[in-house]
Amino acid sequence: MRCELTYDVSYTLHRVATLNLDNCVRQLRLKQDLTQEALAATVGVTRQTIIAVEKGKFVPSVKLALQLAAALGAPVGKLFWLERKGGAG
Amino acid sequence: MNAMSTYYLSRAALCIGFATLLIISGAELWVGILAGLLTFGWFLLAPRIGRYVVRHEAGVAALHRDERAQAINNAAARNGFVVAMLAAGAVVVHAILRAQSTVPVDVLEWLMLLGIVVYSASDIWMRRRQA
Repeated sequence: MRCELTYDVSYTLHRVATLNLDNCVRQLRLKQDLTQEALAATVGVTRQTIIAVEKGKFVPSVKLALQLAAALGAPVGKLFWLERKGGAG
Repeated sequence: MNAMSTYYLSRAALCIGFATLLIISGAELWVGILAGLLTFGWFLLAPRIGRYVVRHEAGVAALHRDERAQAINNAAARNGFVVAMLAAGAVVVHAILRAQSTVPVDVLEWLMLLGIVVYSASDIWMRRRQA
């Protein structure tokens, strides 16, 4: 079983609950010259879902997050992270 | 032959089957053909409107909602159901207060229509909010 603790766990539970999910899907996708349509086809969702994920308006399931990470060749922890509202975490 | 060609050919076969079934069961020829064409038009449009993905391995049931579309559909269905049930409760309370022992069956049609309207409005609103 691969289960490594790579996240900074200094947040208290209360603080973690107030954090938002942010991501760099768009940046990594553009870096790889992938269109939203191509990425959507690779992970088996619609282009609208990719748009919503990139804008942070839809929180993907763990499965979709892992599929996006695999498609973009990045660890899921680098693709998605928790951040304070309107600022860096 | 690529995967989408397989999808279109299988949908065409389904539509021909559907039109034939309509004609055999007594519908006029033009009605059967029109229904088949409209159904095929829907299958052409469906993969492009952002609600469905094509999963070729699923065969006849190749059109699927992805997880975002499914989440929106679930929430919209829940909204439609809750509003229709609340309205049904209100109708029953209204009938009790007016000392009516029965409620007209016609009310059910309106309740169902209300549920469909709320479902559709919720679906459209949630899709626009996430776009």
